[in-house]
Amino acid sequence: MEVTLVGLAGPLIKGILLGGLYVVIALGLSLVFGVMKLINVGHGDLVILGSYFALAAMTWLGMDPFLSLVIGLPLFFGLGFLVQKFIINRTFRISLDAALIATFGISIIVQGLVQARFTAFGMSLATDYRLLTFDVGAVTIPLRYLLDFIGGLAVMIALREFLRRTYLGRAISAASQNEPVAERMGINPNRVYSFAFAIAMACAAVAGVLQGLTFSFQPTSGPPFLIISFGVIILGGLGSMAGTFIGGMIFGLTQTLGAYLSGGSMLVQAIAPYLLVFVVLSIRPQGIFGR
Amino acid sequence: MKIPRLTTLASVAVLVVLALFPVIGVPLSWLNYLFTFFIYLALANMWNLLAGYTGLICLCPHAFVGLAGYTLAIGTWVGVPFQAGLIAGAAVAALFALIISYPVFRMKGIYFAIGTLILPEVLKAWFNFWRPVGNAYQGMGAGYSVKGVAGVTLGDTYWLALAIAAASIFLVHIILRARLGLGLKAIRDNENTAASSGVNIFRLKLSSFLIAAFIMGLAGAAYFIFSPRIQPTGGFTISWLLLPLMATVIGGEGSEEGPIIGAAIVTFLRFLLADYGAWSLLIQGIILLVVVVVMPQGIAGLLRQVGAYRFPQKLFQAAEGKIRKA
Repeated sequence: MEVTLVGLAGPLIKGILLGGLYVVIALGLSLVFGVMKLINVGHGDLVILGSYFALAAMTWLGMDPFLSLVIGLPLFFGLGFLVQKFIINRTFRISLDAALIATFGISIIVQGLVQARFTAFGMSLATDYRLLTFDVGAVTIPLRYLLDFIGGLAVMIALREFLRRTYLGRAISAASQNEPVAERMGINPNRVYSFAFAIAMACAAVAGVLQGLTFSFQPTSGPPFLIISFGVIILGGLGSMAGTFIGGMIFGLTQTLGAYLSGGSMLVQAIAPYLLVFVVLSIRPQGIFGR
Repeated sequence: MKIPRLTTLASVAVLVVLALFPVIGVPLSWLNYLFTFFIYLALANMWNLLAGYTGLICLCPHAFVGLAGYTLAIGTWVGVPFQAGLIAGAAVAALFALIISYPVFRMKGIYFAIGTLILPEVLKAWFNFWRPVGNAYQGMGAGYSVKGVAGVTLGDTYWLALAIAAASIFLVHIILRARLGLGLKAIRDNENTAASSGVNIFRLKLSSFLIAAFIMGLAGAAYFIFSPRIQPTGGFTISWLLLPLMATVIGGEGSEEGPIIGAAIVTFLRFLLADYGAWSLLIQGIILLVVVVVMPQGIAGLLRQVGAYRFPQKLFQAAEGKIRKA
């Protein structure tokens, strides 16, 4: 296949737009990782849980996936708060390994739960606008990719402004920068952690809706998204929302450009992002933009 | 003549009794349960060596198991007997560990965990498309059957698994009492202090990583002799990570008896919950959470805390004293 500028425009635009999805998925993980230095191994599964929640709201209540977030956001927020309060805060004080294993337990529970309720078959959020496309010049772009990008941008900006402008947001930033000092300033770390995890779960609910519109999903779809979002964080560097945004774009581009330059090889498309993360991890574990 | 210690004698006796099981006509279902138990035990022991004694939260046992299984399966397709394939599989797993050791040991703590978690995903994707021998067949992805194992009885695989499990216990026992074990524990407790005390961190970590990869590969290949069909989704399934991890955490990480207790519980749960499909995953997850929150040291830690070992220990010592006197 000949590489031309026109031919390259499609994968470029798609990669950037798709990157928006990865940004939303990664933001929740980034927040928890930034505050507690803990990787929530169950994050990918929580995103998939969000997809299934939207599916349930759609099939049982006939709600649009985006509208279902009106219920989904507070539900996931509350659930996250409780999980952090009763499980992770406790194990976190024992050791990092214990907390890691606890989040692993959450991952299996979520997988088992959705598999028991929705079977192991692939599902998708079949809305009527899911398969619409529009043209930009010679390039045809699926509408759902644009929604991903808008969603990614919106969540990133909302989270960034929240962390900068509100009291709680500043408390979270403070605890992530230096916990003992933050505690001396009257911030209760456990409470801050609970809110951080709750917000991360709410992000997962949004990510679940976008993910469900973009790809089909099954109970075991979660772990790949964990690795993708970890890759996005590593590429973008910790604690920087804008960095995560750039990381998401790079990640989306790796996937689409890798597939395009290799002549549509499924193998390259499947492996390229993982290899990118692995290489970056082994060369600069703190991330490209990290300190 | 030096009298062997009573604990040594007891473990040898247990081993002999277990080895006699297929001969004395124990029901086949029992052999099946015990086979599974031995495989999990070997995996859990090696995971314990990495996580409990070296401080490496290694999330890639399924990479070793899958690679060994594929080596075995592909080997039988090009005429390698499965006995040689078993060793070759373990060797390939260890070779893989050697190749990845340089990049992954640059990562510390949580980064190491995620870095190792990526590898099986890469391998799974790779084996989905890579098919060196034989024609692709429909609907199975890049699956292979293991050829030439039709004559292998359950008794044979049982002995094989027993040998691997016993070797894994013995190996950990030896390592812990050698210089290697001392160095590994020093690394686990504080890597920087260990390094400044003259412990060669990279070499020691590598030794334990290679040993673990080899034994995990051996256990994996033995499993695929028992169940002679491998696919990317089955060979690199996360269960191969989950089972040893759960067994070690439930039993007690960083103790020699922990993986044995844990592997027994995990095996029991697996057969008990076999009919419940997805619910079994859910229940295992809940058990894992409860154990981590309520007794982070696992069952072995709990037993130690309540002093459950003191009475049998006294009993053993008294008995040994009497034998010596006589």
